[in-house]
Amino acid sequence: MSGRFTGSTGTSLIGGTEAHSSRSLPALLVPIIVVGAVLALVPFWLGDSRVLMGVAVLGLAFVCYVIGFNVIFGGTGQLFLCVGALAGVGGFGATILADNVGLPIVASILIATLAATLMGGLLSYVAVQRSLGVIFTGIVTLIFSLSFDALLLGLSNLTGGDTGRLIKSGTDTFLRERIPPYYLMLGLALAFLLTHGLLRRSHIGWAFRALRDDEVAAELAGVDVARYRVYGALIGAAMLGLAGSTYALTEGRISPTTFGFGHVDVVVMVMLAFGGIGTLFGPIVGAITFTIVDEVLIDFGQLRQVAYGILVIVLFLWMPRGLIPTLDSVWRRVRGLVGARH
Amino acid sequence: MIANILDGIVLGLQFGLLAAGLTLIYGLGGVLNLGYGQIAVTSAMIVALSMDAGVPVVPAVGLGLLAGGLFGLLLDLTILRPVYRLRGEARVLLSLLLTLGVSFIIDGYLNWRYPLKALNLYIGGGAIDILGVPMRRGSLVASAITLVTITGLFIFFRSTSLGRAIRSVIEDESGARLIGIDPKQMLRLILVLSGVLAALVAVTRSMIAPVDTTSGLSITVFALIVTVVGGLGNVVGALLAGIILGIVNVVAADLIGSYISLILLLAAAAVTILIRPAGLLGVKE
Repeated sequence: MSGRFTGSTGTSLIGGTEAHSSRSLPALLVPIIVVGAVLALVPFWLGDSRVLMGVAVLGLAFVCYVIGFNVIFGGTGQLFLCVGALAGVGGFGATILADNVGLPIVASILIATLAATLMGGLLSYVAVQRSLGVIFTGIVTLIFSLSFDALLLGLSNLTGGDTGRLIKSGTDTFLRERIPPYYLMLGLALAFLLTHGLLRRSHIGWAFRALRDDEVAAELAGVDVARYRVYGALIGAAMLGLAGSTYALTEGRISPTTFGFGHVDVVVMVMLAFGGIGTLFGPIVGAITFTIVDEVLIDFGQLRQVAYGILVIVLFLWMPRGLIPTLDSVWRRVRGLVGARH
Repeated sequence: MIANILDGIVLGLQFGLLAAGLTLIYGLGGVLNLGYGQIAVTSAMIVALSMDAGVPVVPAVGLGLLAGGLFGLLLDLTILRPVYRLRGEARVLLSLLLTLGVSFIIDGYLNWRYPLKALNLYIGGGAIDILGVPMRRGSLVASAITLVTITGLFIFFRSTSLGRAIRSVIEDESGARLIGIDPKQMLRLILVLSGVLAALVAVTRSMIAPVDTTSGLSITVFALIVTVVGGLGNVVGALLAGIILGIVNVVAADLIGSYISLILLLAAAAVTILIRPAGLLGVKE
């Protein structure tokens, strides 16, 4: 069955979606431009504070992580519990290439991103080959996360061990100024949003939906499920690697916790589940909401985690499918009521 | 080498018992409890605090086990109720997210209230020779307790009607319902049992190394890995996987060094999952 879908039958399907996407391209672009315009105003509001700009940049890094995770998990149903580790392959890879090997920053970022992409693709390929289910893919990728963490702590001459290391490269560039890193990460987040939006409209997105809805039916209809799973992982992992390496270079210091499982994966999962798994704008809503919540609760110290836990429970009891799908169904119901009355 | 294998078995028995609690809930209810390590840590803190208040060791441990069981019961009566209304993947995902919330609450509270507290049930006295290898008394007592518990579990599941009822629910829920077994009651019972097991592992672990307020996540993660290697829902598999991974861990730590040993342990787990996705003793569905 492999390859048939991308062959002759595939072209007509791509054509079909192209006609569809040209009609609805403004419907995709307008919301992204609005989101971008609103977020572009943030530095005018917080720009005086170095600390708050740091929070905003981290928030945008999380937007990127959540989009990457959403492409993999929301798109193709592979529970990758190695978001932090893949971003860390990017972050530590770029740091080591730039500082220790002496490559230019852009080349370092690209090579590190490529490494993260290949790693994600490999994990997915193995999971698909062994036809692992959601939970098992989750465990294998969790094992990869933990191994990566152990490796970071072990190779302390390269990674700085537990305390982490400073990044010399980029010290005197715009990467370490107060405002420019924000726009860099914003550009990245918007590019990811657009990529995901276009992806959803392409034949790849069509295949993703088919295999998410019913894997067996998709396979019978000629979708090469295994191939599209790996595609999803490659695209998502590339996003994670690129975001991780860019974030590391703007931050100027990294440690294992920067990309730790508890600090990244758990948070990313909560953000995506809050925004709505598989939705286009869920990641941005979830990441921004939880970045703000985290900042509002900062005075509570350790108790912040308690509040965070209560919030997670309340939110998921209230709307287990996430904010965007819940709002969507409320909106449909309201529209249905209004329509029925007329 | 024998010393390493014995140490590995000591560690592995605890891994196995830890995973048994997690695997039972999954097998019975399709629920993944990510607050599992926090149950262990909470119980450990209750033992430590009771001992601070002057309660002797044995009753303090009893209180800790009771707390573990109550914790499990509380989960069943509160946040798992909406989880039970869902099916399949949605159920696993919601249970995972809600218990993750619980683990945040417990971790946050314990780190805030008792930041430096740790349970350390040190057992003094000289080493005892086993197969010509001197073993610490703490390790031996911990292993003895674990072995007795495992034996007890086997007797419970093989020979009591309640244990058989639970196994029948794992095998075929609707069939069990037809012969008059209430799966919900069995699940509640198993949540209490898994809470007690978590508490017991915390107590035996503290005889070898201190259990502090930050141990929760790593306990959960290890339990999860051992569970999956053993086969989800398979208690015997969990015990076997625990022992194998325990031996791999200790032997690798001795031969190569500690951080590579963790990676090797993880690699061994990954390879097992890849070769046998249903787990060591699992039957492919």
